Amino acid sequence: MTTTLILSQAAVALHGVSRVFGRGPSAVHAVDDVTLEFPRGGWTAVMGPSGSGKSTLLHCAAGLERVDTGRVMLGDTDLSAATDSQLTALRRTRIGFVFQSFNLIGSLTAEQNVALPLRLAGKRPSRSVVRATLDAVGLADRARHRPRELSGGQQQRVAIARAMVTRPEVLFADEPTGALDSTAARTVLDLMRAMADAGQSIVMVTHDPGAAARADAVIFLRDGRVVDRLSGADTRQVADRLAAWEH
Amino acid sequence: MLRMSRAGLADRWTLFVGALLSVTLGVALVQSSLLLLISAATSSLEDGDAAVAMLGIMLGGATFLAGFIISSTFAFTVDQRRRDLALLRLVGGSRSQVRRLLLGEALLLGLGGAALGVPAGLVVMDVQEWLMHRFEFVPEGFTGQWRMWILGVSVGTGLLLAIAGVLVAAHRAARVRPLEALRETGPAARVMTAGRWIAGLLFFGGALALMIVAPHGGPAGGQAMAMNVAMPAAVAVVAFAPLLVPLLARLMPFGGGVLGSLARANVRDARRRSASVAAPLIVLVALVVGNTGAGTTFTTSGIAEVARSTRADLVVQGRVPAGFTDGTVSTELSLPGEITTGQGEDQETEAISVLVVDPAAYSAVHTTPVAVRGKAVVAGPGGDVPTSGTVHVRLPQGDLGELPVVGAVPATMSGGANLLLPPGLVPEAQLASASAVSYVALKPGADPAAVRTALARFGPVTSVGDWLKSDAAARNDINQKVLLMVLGLGALYALIGVVNAIVIGAATRRREFAEARVTGLTRGQVVRAALLEAYAVTGAGLLLGALAAASALIAAVATTSAVTGTATLDLPWTLIGVTALVALTVTGLTSLITSWSATRRAPVTLLAARE
Repeated sequence: MTTTLILSQAAVALHGVSRVFGRGPSAVHAVDDVTLEFPRGGWTAVMGPSGSGKSTLLHCAAGLERVDTGRVMLGDTDLSAATDSQLTALRRTRIGFVFQSFNLIGSLTAEQNVALPLRLAGKRPSRSVVRATLDAVGLADRARHRPRELSGGQQQRVAIARAMVTRPEVLFADEPTGALDSTAARTVLDLMRAMADAGQSIVMVTHDPGAAARADAVIFLRDGRVVDRLSGADTRQVADRLAAWEH
Repeated sequence: MLRMSRAGLADRWTLFVGALLSVTLGVALVQSSLLLLISAATSSLEDGDAAVAMLGIMLGGATFLAGFIISSTFAFTVDQRRRDLALLRLVGGSRSQVRRLLLGEALLLGLGGAALGVPAGLVVMDVQEWLMHRFEFVPEGFTGQWRMWILGVSVGTGLLLAIAGVLVAAHRAARVRPLEALRETGPAARVMTAGRWIAGLLFFGGALALMIVAPHGGPAGGQAMAMNVAMPAAVAVVAFAPLLVPLLARLMPFGGGVLGSLARANVRDARRRSASVAAPLIVLVALVVGNTGAGTTFTTSGIAEVARSTRADLVVQGRVPAGFTDGTVSTELSLPGEITTGQGEDQETEAISVLVVDPAAYSAVHTTPVAVRGKAVVAGPGGDVPTSGTVHVRLPQGDLGELPVVGAVPATMSGGANLLLPPGLVPEAQLASASAVSYVALKPGADPAAVRTALARFGPVTSVGDWLKSDAAARNDINQKVLLMVLGLGALYALIGVVNAIVIGAATRRREFAEARVTGLTRGQVVRAALLEAYAVTGAGLLLGALAAASALIAAVATTSAVTGTATLDLPWTLIGVTALVALTVTGLTSLITSWSATRRAPVTLLAARE
């Protein structure tokens, strides 16, 4: 088993985690006995063919999906044993999310969307904090726009600002560039690279080798198991490795 | 949270129009009925009881229906907004915050409903006043009086209706899991929840119990119980609607072709939406067909019962003197009265109607033995009085004192006088004001036309059949009018509910419609498929409403059989036809308008634009 030393070094650690959907012969082992650490202050990309369990792994690591066996540790907090209200509190303070389909609240302005997690936590966010967070994603001038008045790339950057406003320990990103054109995707990836360089822990699921190559390390998943990993690879190397595992 | 509630309402206002309308109408009706009720109760109306009773029923009905529509609207909007609510949970919203968000929305809706409901209440009061004059509940010159305190009541009503309506939905919403935000369509939430099963079985049990007990309740009790079967039966059917509606809707004729199969698949898939559209229709049909059907059944049965037991040919509205020799004459004089029964604390006084009869002639004409003379009385066909012991009888112009009850004629379905008095008990002077009806049984061989002419001297003459019909109609008049007004109200609410459900459904189906269009369907085909679907669901709703109505009718038929010995069923076919036609027209038009407007924008803009 993992030692205490490693626990304190990892931002998120999975110990023998399994997640099965369905029962009997039709049961799907989406995550199959995975033991894995996502390092603190690093950007890890998770790749794999469709149905390899990437998203389920991310959901389990973020405490969104219950695990059937094993433990998920966020720092020294056991997510697999946390109650609903404890998980709610964690989402407000220590975990941030970014998703493929932005998931902004349509009735609120960019500014209000960004301030939402703080307000849900019962804090009165100062305008300057919210503006600074929006400024950090280059959207200070779009603060009063509603999501539908923004381009896809801009919406995703608002979503990142919303995730980052609580200064989370880990940012989870599920295909953050999946719905963006290449220019918008590059802007978002640049932003995430800058965040990682500043010490932010990021766990990202992607199927785009170009996006994965911007991360510090890439983990390959197949049939719910970790089958390979790469560090400091370029787009081509990631693409070749992915192609190898897709066959 | 209140700010988010406000933003949510502003952004998704189409989802809430129906709820707002329901609160507004609820507030308006409560305010108007209450003002009129207070005015009627405090004024010295001669026959204020019927008006007060009618307004009381309106008050209760409006509250119940507004609560029903608001809670079902909220339940449906919560289902349609699962992704939004899950998203809130995802970014750190707690369960209680989700609850508070919905309560905040309800609060704003309640205030909005009250703000619109107060002025609308004044309009409603004009309409109600007009109806009450029209139906002769109140005399000319009666008007409702405005009271300042009603403002507080109306705001309170709005808030209470909206917040009570949202409680269950808020509880359900708080259980939405954060991960549901990430699923594009997501596995539909379980529709047959434990609450639905419990409510369904409970109300089914209630309806069943009423159906079983009604035939044993006697004429008055049985009628009252049978008239109350439709409501719990409708609630039970509505609770099981997510199971029953898709099942029935799939059996509707869709026609062949791709549109038919698409519509059929949609009905099967969107169980929650289908059930929401069908629910108010079920209530509508159950109320209208069940209650009016039971009402006409009882009236017809009552007429038939009296007709079977009456041996008379002609009826004269007047006193036929004793010397008339062309037939047997039973002259019956009707007076209002009061009886007091019981002793001490159990003493009870109630208004009754008494009938002064000639026992021998009455027995012959009504084929029921009546033996009474001197200072004694017999319980009449109207029931409601003790059949033994003594009663204290008072008439408008004199106290008859304590009188023994020496017998009883069987109580009849259509009621009638509560006490039969022998001649001589009431002084002739007091009988001058009594309304008189004389039943005439012709001697064998007598010429009806000649007798009729001879009788015309004493008052208008009708055949006994026509008389029984008009007599029953007059007796049921007040009940019918009350029923009509309450049913009108119920129908209005139910239609709002239907329109509401379709509008909410279509507002959240833009994307689905767009997907169908990029798959190759034209706009017209999408609209037609939605229309087919609406018709199938309406058909299922009408059938299920008929099922709930049938339970009331079964109770009514069983009661007529138990009371009169002959099972009778008489259905108001015109009303049933009109109800079905109105339901089909309203759902069809609403579906057309909403799906047409939901497909206004080019599909590609809808599919490209994400939240």
